[in-house]
Amino acid sequence: MTRAVIELDRVDRYFGAHPAVLDLSFAVMEGEIVALLGRTGAGKSTALHMIMGVLEPTGGTVRVEGLDPYAQFKALRGKLSVSFQNDRLLPWRSAWENVALGLDILGFDRETQRSRAIEWLENVKIVGAENVRKYPHELSGGMRQRVSLARALCVDPALVLLDESFSQLDHVTSKALRADFTELVRRLGKTCVLITHRIDDALEMADRILVLAAPARLALEVRVTRAGRADPGWLEAQHAAIAAAMGGEDEDRGEAA
Amino acid sequence: MSTRIDPETAPGIEPPAPAGAERNYFKRDLIGSVVVIALIAFGMEAWSWVAPVYIMPSIVLTGDEILTILVEDYIHIVTTILRLLFAVAFSLVAGSLIGVVMGIVRPAEPFIKALVVIFTGVPALSWMLFAIFWFRGTEERVFFILAVILIPFYALNVYDGIKALSTDLVEVVETFRPSRWQVFRLLILPHIVPYILMTTKSIIGYAARMTAFAELVSVNTGMGARMGLAQDELNMQGVIGWTILLVIVNLGVQAIVAWAEKRLLKWRPEVSVR
Ligand SMILES: Nc1ncnc2c1ncn2[C@@H]1O[C@H](COP(=O)(O)OP(=O)(O)O)[C@@H](O)[C@H]1O
Ligand SMILES: [Mg+2]
Repeated sequence: MTRAVIELDRVDRYFGAHPAVLDLSFAVMEGEIVALLGRTGAGKSTALHMIMGVLEPTGGTVRVEGLDPYAQFKALRGKLSVSFQNDRLLPWRSAWENVALGLDILGFDRETQRSRAIEWLENVKIVGAENVRKYPHELSGGMRQRVSLARALCVDPALVLLDESFSQLDHVTSKALRADFTELVRRLGKTCVLITHRIDDALEMADRILVLAAPARLALEVRVTRAGRADPGWLEAQHAAIAAAMGGEDEDRGEAA
Repeated sequence: MSTRIDPETAPGIEPPAPAGAERNYFKRDLIGSVVVIALIAFGMEAWSWVAPVYIMPSIVLTGDEILTILVEDYIHIVTTILRLLFAVAFSLVAGSLIGVVMGIVRPAEPFIKALVVIFTGVPALSWMLFAIFWFRGTEERVFFILAVILIPFYALNVYDGIKALSTDLVEVVETFRPSRWQVFRLLILPHIVPYILMTTKSIIGYAARMTAFAELVSVNTGMGARMGLAQDELNMQGVIGWTILLVIVNLGVQAIVAWAEKRLLKWRPEVSVR
């Protein structure tokens, strides 16, 4: 864990006079899972869009794999991929064809696309020739989000970005998917940035939590070790500290019940 | 949509059907059709007993005429079908491209849109008369008339389709950093296919009738022209015979479109078979 995959240096982003991200600096190391945690409107998605290279910073520099993701947009082809809150599957493509989207864009032939897509569907626990051929409208919400995650991983990117990918699912589905995804990403040693507004999700999944307060500035940084994750007392204390740094927790914490 | 399309000549164009249950009405429809056809045939036959032959010929006479046409004049049927299919295929491609350009190239949008709206306002009959003045060749005339009438329908519907393209999907495809051509192939093209099919479905019957009409007015080959000839000769069984064949051609091309729709839109939960 020596190489920085993402580096933000004093990044600002204004929308008109309104700052969405202000003086934000952090680095994400290779193989790390980092959570960007903050309340709705804290500027998490704005930060993510700058990392993706679809939004230009107003000030400061963003580097992904040493490249400027906005100015050198095409140079990062195949190196980063994103999964969103909603699955965003192409309705005319079957499950495996959706997973293969990135491979198609990278120019792989159809047979390779197919075999790799099916492999990745297995990795997210979608198996069986029948399921693999289903169209998005034939799949449940949880399965669609699994397909969406497989699509992000299928190009074997150096960096995986997740914007609230688990927050639209029901509690049970979300929990199972979080566990499966974290296990998979750790096993593969992928670098991952996940955006969430849920403190418990961040504590459960991330190696390091960057707590953002609006407009996105670093309010607190928490390292989560395996020992810490297993210690209810530590988790409780961190939860309280994070909630305070965020400026209170969003309403939907009790949703589980 | 209502302001842009001439209500006098235009068929109702609907956007792709909203989600709805697919029901099998086939058997019920079949019974209805058989009953109606039998009633019409019986009515015509009964009428022919009391009316002179140039008002209403008997079924036997009309059937005989249809057989004669199928044996001796079938080339006109083939001509009409080929004209129709070629003009629809061309209009589909050209109109869809115009629609895509309207939807994607922002600065071009208002100009092309104005042009398309003005074109759809010109009555079909005017285009037929223009065609007679502007073109000597028969194929050019019919092709011009059909293309100029059909292209705007494709352009407008595909344009609506492009506008309805979800930004979420655009964003997710963009994350893989595709070329422009890949965006077209992977996102835009499959997205507009339903719009193209719905347009084809709603114009094909209209286009078939327009083909016959254009032939009647401007040329001397094809089903419409032969029908005009039968009228000149006071050959009523000829007029009815050609009419029945036109109805069959019309239903045939509609069946082809319905089949294409079912195949190409199998990914949609709500493919309507009706
Ligand atoms: N395209 C935009 N135009 C104007 N304001 C925006 C835009 N995107 C985000 N914002 C503003 O920036 C702030 C942060 O938004 P966002 O990054 O979406 O927050 P989060 O993802 O943490 O909920 C909000 O106040 C939002 O209104
Ligand atoms: Mg957000």
